[in-house]
Amino acid sequence: MRRALAGLMIFVISMVPFHVFAASALDMVKTNANSVLDVLRDPKLKGEAGKKVKEQRIEAAAEKLFDYVELSKRTLGLNWNKLSMDQRKEFVELFKTLLRNTYIDRITAYTNENVEFTREVQLTDTTTEVQSVVTRGSTRVPINYRVIKKGDDWMVYDVVIEGVSLISNYRTQFREILGNNPPQVLIDTLRKRVGK
Amino acid sequence: MRATGGLCLIVAFLLCCPLLHAQQDVPDIGTITIRDLRDSGDMPERPVAYTMAAETAFRKGLGVAEGGPGNFSVYASAKKEPPDEYGDVKAEDVGESAPALGSSSDPYGDVATDEGVSVAPRPRIADPLRPFNVAMYHFNDKVYFWVWKPAATGYSYVVPLPFRNLFRNFYRNLTAPVRIMNNLFQGKPGHAGEELAKFLINSTVGVGGLRNCAEECFGIEGRNADFGQTLGKWGVGPGFYLVLPFLGPSSPRDGFGFLVDWAMRPQTYVGTEFFDYQNVGLFVHEKINSTSFHIGEYEALKKAAVDPYVSMRDIYIQYRTDFIENR
Repeated sequence: MRRALAGLMIFVISMVPFHVFAASALDMVKTNANSVLDVLRDPKLKGEAGKKVKEQRIEAAAEKLFDYVELSKRTLGLNWNKLSMDQRKEFVELFKTLLRNTYIDRITAYTNENVEFTREVQLTDTTTEVQSVVTRGSTRVPINYRVIKKGDDWMVYDVVIEGVSLISNYRTQFREILGNNPPQVLIDTLRKRVGK
Repeated sequence: MRATGGLCLIVAFLLCCPLLHAQQDVPDIGTITIRDLRDSGDMPERPVAYTMAAETAFRKGLGVAEGGPGNFSVYASAKKEPPDEYGDVKAEDVGESAPALGSSSDPYGDVATDEGVSVAPRPRIADPLRPFNVAMYHFNDKVYFWVWKPAATGYSYVVPLPFRNLFRNFYRNLTAPVRIMNNLFQGKPGHAGEELAKFLINSTVGVGGLRNCAEECFGIEGRNADFGQTLGKWGVGPGFYLVLPFLGPSSPRDGFGFLVDWAMRPQTYVGTEFFDYQNVGLFVHEKINSTSFHIGEYEALKKAAVDPYVSMRDIYIQYRTDFIENR
């Protein structure tokens, strides 16, 4: 009896660290996405004032969900190394602002799309793809989130919409700019682009 | 006596737990070293000396910074240094399909694509006709903003949504032969059967294809297929990037595919010629009708881009490659 109890204790204790380790990427993205959807569905948040609040809450959620440094690194690839430390930091901020400006209107314009998280596919030891389908009327758009393990959290570093990867798309564009120009030109282009 | 043994075990385990935690928290320096060594065997093209040297330098640097060569100080300092997040990367194409950059706490981490994961190379397309394509891109852009968009906007004011839905279903149902045949060409009889079932249901219960009853009542979603995709499945590459007037981003392969699909469309035979004002007119109506459901999407893509031309080209090749490889 005691032996069984001791065995049970060992079993329970041994579960602790692994339990933390096994936090599912899908649950993580789903929870964050649902919190955003709750904000968007909130009937109290209407008009201009409501839109401001919505934007703030979405930004807060995005901050928790996205790893902008990882995203920037993967977007630039080897070109990342050509940037000085200050340029890297500025690039991350500018790219973040660019993405925010681009997508915040699209997100707040949400009407009644149905978001369904379907499954997760492990890509590597540390990365996983969380797959979802957004349904609006009769159109279904598959949206996949690629997440990387950071400590106990999963952070998004790429979004793949209908087979088109976000970071891949920007990488092609940035590579063209960096092909013939020094990194500062890219920074200046982005500055102009986000109106800074 | 037994209880003591059990207690010992528990205590031993409790003592081990921090180690487990530690192993989990530690940046992957250790494991990556092992992976480097392991990979150097089967991946001779990776310069192992380079990565090893880099890592040694990394350890040394941190060791100096910490004032001690101990392993734990290496780990501790690696964890303490947030600017390291901004450190160098080691490879281009970090394998979008199976990316494996080092974790942020280990910026010098190897970028080996991990074992067991096949990495599809990022799709790219040659663009030898760039000046022509850029001109065509601007032409199509103008056509969209000056013709398609106002036409579709006006059209959606005049024709209410239910009717536009009817038209969309009708046109989609008419082009069923294109999808059935291409699914067959691609060796997907199951998908072809789905499209055939959809066609039969919608043509009868859906009153000549006006209602999409197959999907609404029976949950048959249908399987898109076109001849460009069929050629891709057969191993034909896109060739090069080609922006077609009015039709948009394409390639010799997909342009030829469009012609073959055109020949398989029943609408084509409404006219007396392969292209005449009747079947092209129907096609234009189909386009305006479908554009009315998608106003704002092109604008959004364009707004998101830093270089819209390059962005569209990349979206085209990524989308088509995915359509060929994964469906």
